[in-house]
Amino acid sequence: MEAVARRLRGRFGNWVTRRIPPARSVTLDQRRIFILPSRAGLFFGLLVILILLTAINYQNNMSYALAFLLATLFVVGVLHSYANLSGLRLHGVAASTVFPGQQSEFVLRLERGRRQQHYALRLAWPDSGDAVVNLVDRDTAELRLYLPVGGRGWYHPGRLLLESTYPLGLLRCWTWVDLDLRALVYPRPLSSGELPGVAGDRPEGAAIPVVGSDDFYGFREYRPGDSLRQVHWKGLAKGQGLQSKHYVGYADRSLWLDWELFSGLPTEQRLSHLCYWALAFERAQEDYGLRLPGLTLAPPAVSTSWTGC
Amino acid sequence: MKIATAARIVPRNALVWIIISQFALLAPHLGRLPLWVVLVYLFAAGWRIMVYQGRWSFPGRWVKLGLIAAGFAAIWLSYGNLLGLEPTVALLLTAFALKLLELIRRKDAYVLIFLGYFICVTGFLFTQHLLLVLYSMLDILLLTTALVALHQPGEHRFRLATVRLPAVMLAQALPLMLVLFFLFPRLGPLWTVPVKSHAARTGVSDFMQPGDISSLSQSDEVAFRVQFDGDIPPRSELYWRGLVFSVLENGAWRSLKYADIPAREWRARRQEPVGEPLRYSVLMMPTQQNWLYSLRYAQSAQRSVMASADFRLYSPVEIEDQLLYRATSWPRTPLELELSAWRRRTELALPAAGNPATLALARQLRAASDSDADYVTAVLDHFNREPFVYTLQPPLLGEDPMDQFLFRTRRGFCEHYAFAFTLMMRAAGVPARVVAGYQGGEINPVNGTVIVHQFDAHAWAEVWLPGEGWRRVDPTAAVAPERIELGLEQALAGEGSFLADSPLSPLRYRGINWINMARLRYDALTYRWQSWVVGFDSQQQYQLLEDVFGDIRPRVFIAVLFASALVVLLPVAWLLLGRRQRHSLDPATKLYLAFCVRLAARGIVRAAGEAPADFARRAALEQPALAPWLRQFTHEFNQLAYADREQDEARRQQLLARLRSLLRQPPPA
Repeated sequence: MEAVARRLRGRFGNWVTRRIPPARSVTLDQRRIFILPSRAGLFFGLLVILILLTAINYQNNMSYALAFLLATLFVVGVLHSYANLSGLRLHGVAASTVFPGQQSEFVLRLERGRRQQHYALRLAWPDSGDAVVNLVDRDTAELRLYLPVGGRGWYHPGRLLLESTYPLGLLRCWTWVDLDLRALVYPRPLSSGELPGVAGDRPEGAAIPVVGSDDFYGFREYRPGDSLRQVHWKGLAKGQGLQSKHYVGYADRSLWLDWELFSGLPTEQRLSHLCYWALAFERAQEDYGLRLPGLTLAPPAVSTSWTGC
Repeated sequence: MKIATAARIVPRNALVWIIISQFALLAPHLGRLPLWVVLVYLFAAGWRIMVYQGRWSFPGRWVKLGLIAAGFAAIWLSYGNLLGLEPTVALLLTAFALKLLELIRRKDAYVLIFLGYFICVTGFLFTQHLLLVLYSMLDILLLTTALVALHQPGEHRFRLATVRLPAVMLAQALPLMLVLFFLFPRLGPLWTVPVKSHAARTGVSDFMQPGDISSLSQSDEVAFRVQFDGDIPPRSELYWRGLVFSVLENGAWRSLKYADIPAREWRARRQEPVGEPLRYSVLMMPTQQNWLYSLRYAQSAQRSVMASADFRLYSPVEIEDQLLYRATSWPRTPLELELSAWRRRTELALPAAGNPATLALARQLRAASDSDADYVTAVLDHFNREPFVYTLQPPLLGEDPMDQFLFRTRRGFCEHYAFAFTLMMRAAGVPARVVAGYQGGEINPVNGTVIVHQFDAHAWAEVWLPGEGWRRVDPTAAVAPERIELGLEQALAGEGSFLADSPLSPLRYRGINWINMARLRYDALTYRWQSWVVGFDSQQQYQLLEDVFGDIRPRVFIAVLFASALVVLLPVAWLLLGRRQRHSLDPATKLYLAFCVRLAARGIVRAAGEAPADFARRAALEQPALAPWLRQFTHEFNQLAYADREQDEARRQQLLARLRSLLRQPPPA
């Protein structure tokens, strides 16, 4: 039974994905909007049947008329419910980076279509709280939803539910959109007592491998040939395109956080320790460098990308 | 308790609309309800408003249970039971008011609003009068407004404008509703339902004591309306027979009970019709009684209308709702040329004692007459000669009422004269009976109907004469002929008692022309409404469908239903959804498309997906003469469309104007 349900859900998920592919901005139209009677709508149906039975049993023409008026109101309601969602544009704006166990803030923007008023738009991810907005007398509305994230890495919140029962509450009009938003989750900081190898005072100037690239100067567009180490990964993650970090200046005394410092430990634990120390250095406002397999960030590598591995 | 989320609470705007619609729904029931129900409404609304202002809190569970129990008890005390239609409606209305005290979440509001729609229906069960139906439309609008307001979160102030959308939606729903109304098959009742209590019986009753009909004559309610197929007979011929009183018992006349009649006398004997038939339809208001009204010797082809042995029409079921029936009368037909022994005995029976002076006078007059017919004339002469007065305010009569009336008071209404006359006939051995019904009616010049009011109620007599059968005799005509010729108002002109108890009745102002005309027009509208809309039944439906579509088959029926649904809904859909498509291009894009059309006319067609800049470059190569114009237009368009989305409105307008002027002045090719 459960297996069947799961398969059906999987099928439905695939179908929705084909129908509403992930995108940063989605305009709602007839391909994307679904309408079914709400629970109140079902009760409304019962009410109409009750009125119809009364009309039949009492041979009462005005009760017939009322039953038909309400039934037709329901049908007209389908169009109005649809119009309430139709034309809306949904933008995924940003998602905040967080540590595991925290809640990531997802910023969304709603933009109205030609219609003047959109009422009672409820937005929620399956795991998040919900937000209800009216888009009345304004063109856009920005809203924030908070989601508990999983472990280290990219957190995908899945499909966002946008629903409304406006205007009559008898019909639920909804859509599932994938705004292609993801939140970066840092490793969980894990204290490791002393940082091995940092206890001693090591003048690090000579140890810096890339001469003339220790002082952060700015970003420029990525050009073929730029070192992968210079790529601004975080910006890429935010969708700002491929950029290289540009360094000038000279070597300075600084600290190095090295993957090899914690050799022998599992990957996640190593990352957690590195994260802990990175945070510690940040707090102390120390410059530090980071050496990971395949990635070296020279000091001052403030707020580093942790996803490379 | 689950915390109500923003979407689940009731906005204050909705709360106000709900309270307004509650009171609006209560109004049409006021006349039927005990006063305390109104107090419950005020109490519940008052409490809820205090909660809304944060001064009081919602009642606890025990308080609520107590209120419900008190409601049931109060209805039991007011009505004596809980099962009839009136107590059920009172119960619904009380629950409707009390539910306000637990209106917290949206779920509760749904219950309230849905209950409200149903309360509209209960109003229709009592009357489907045009004014009530129009008023109920307002109720439905208010309820729907509350429903819409419920789904506008954050509206924390009462807003009148909320009513606009539901008004539009109801207007859009109306055409399809009409289609369904006329096409939906009318079925017979599926099971028996609680009926209205019989307290509200109106009209002539099956029991007549002196004073009964004069009290009815104070009412200006319409009893029934008649539409004749041909000309309307003179009003002195309009004797609407409803009841025949054959039994005098305990000082009152009553009709024969079912058990009084031997089985062989049950069936109405067919008489040979004589003279021209009168064809007419009667639209009767509900009476909660069985009998129908018709002119003398009426027949009806309708199965719901039956004929009785004393030549009346009646309905086997009590008339709970208005009833439309067709009848044909042959007024000149002699009725019952041969009287059966049982019938003769019944129509001659008199109580053993009472009214000795009247009986003596009867025997004396009969002795002085040559025949029964002469005797009838003699008695009428007696009424005419002696100083009898026709009045709506007869004195009360005690023991031996007819003796008192004939020899002492001599003031009476129609039932006094009919009573005395029939008594005197029977005393002299002439079979006679009292007939009750209505006499006359008002002719509405607007649509040619005869409006019969309650004050047209009348009682007269029928005597059986050998060789003639039953003859109608109206002793009132001997005293006050103007009652028969002109109607009650004229007959009572000197007394000033016509509708004395209803100073606001429009019928009192018949002298003022425009009021009278307005009243008659409204009555014509009511007739049309009652006969066409309220009285629309399977027979009329069949007729209508046959007239419009010819042959009716289920497939045609369903096709018509769907086609009309489409025809009705498509404009709504277009209105809601289509218009947006047309406007979705912004003005700059529209201008650019116009620009492309101009170029296409010169043989340069923009490829699908070709960027404006690319297109301009290609076009400039093809027609170098156009190059500056092309470049400028494309540049300005790009400025407007892409360069700076946030530019201020004035600059946008300026750019648009430039684009427009450029478009108007292309260089010659």
